[in-house]
Amino acid sequence: MKTEISLENGASIFNLSGRLDSHTAPEFERKVQDFLTSPTHHLVFNFNNLDYISSAGLRIILNTAKAYKLSNYQFITCSMQDHVLEVFEISGLDTFITICPTLDESLTTLDTREQDADQEFLST
Amino acid sequence: MKISFQLTNKDSELTKLHANLVKLEKRWSLSVKTVRELNLVLDELVTNIVEHGGCENICTIGIELMKEDTVITLTVTDNGPSFDPTITPAPDISLPLEERSCGGLGLHLVRKFSDGCSYKRENNQNVLTLIKKLPTECR
Repeated sequence: MKTEISLENGASIFNLSGRLDSHTAPEFERKVQDFLTSPTHHLVFNFNNLDYISSAGLRIILNTAKAYKLSNYQFITCSMQDHVLEVFEISGLDTFITICPTLDESLTTLDTREQDADQEFLST
Repeated sequence: MKISFQLTNKDSELTKLHANLVKLEKRWSLSVKTVRELNLVLDELVTNIVEHGGCENICTIGIELMKEDTVITLTVTDNGPSFDPTITPAPDISLPLEERSCGGLGLHLVRKFSDGCSYKRENNQNVLTLIKKLPTECR
C-alpha cells in the first residue's frame, strides 16, 4: 500500500493506493496519527487507487472520523471503487462519513461548508 | 476441485493468501468479485486468529477451498485456544459515530460475504467451515 500526502485548497489530501489490510494498516495508521492529534487543516482520503479494504482499514477510518468530529475541521472521503464502497455501506460507515464521487467534488463540498459556516457566524 | 495451503500466524501472510486466491481465479474460472469476497472473508478470519487467537508461538492456520458445482466450501483450522466465531454478537451498525466501536466489524463482513458457517472443536483445533454460493457468471 502507498500513501501520498499533499496540500490542496487548504486541505490535506491522502492519496491511497494498493491494499489496506491488517498487514499494511499499522504503517498507514502511523502516517494518519500526526493529523489526528491536533488537526490544522481539513482532511480528504482519496480512495481512487485503493483496491481493497478490510476491517483493519475501516478501524482507522472510524478513528479518523471520530477525531475530526471533535475538531474544527472536516474529514471527507472520495473516489471509492464500488467494492470498497460496498464494504463501507455494509459496515454502516457511510451513515456518518461523507463520501464524494470525485476529489474535485470533495474540495467543493469543503468550500461550500466553509461558506455556510461563515454565513452562520456573520448572522449571529 | 479442492486446494489447500497453510499460513502461519503473521499479518504478512495475507500477501500469500491473496496470491493463492488470484491463482484460483483462473484455475476455477471465478469472477474478480468472487475472489475479492473470498479474500476478504479469509483475511478477516486469519487476522482474527493472528490478533486474538492466543497463540504465543508460531501456529499454523490451515485453509482449504473446495468447489462443487455452484458452491465453494471454505475450511479454516487453527490450533489456538477454543474460539467459536459463529456465536459472537453482531455489531450495531446503526449507532451514531460517537457510539460506534470497531469491535466485531471483521466477523460482520465475514457473515455478509458468505452464505452460512459452522464451527466445531476437533483434535484440539478450531475448525470453521463456511459456504459461499457462486453468482451465475461463475457457474
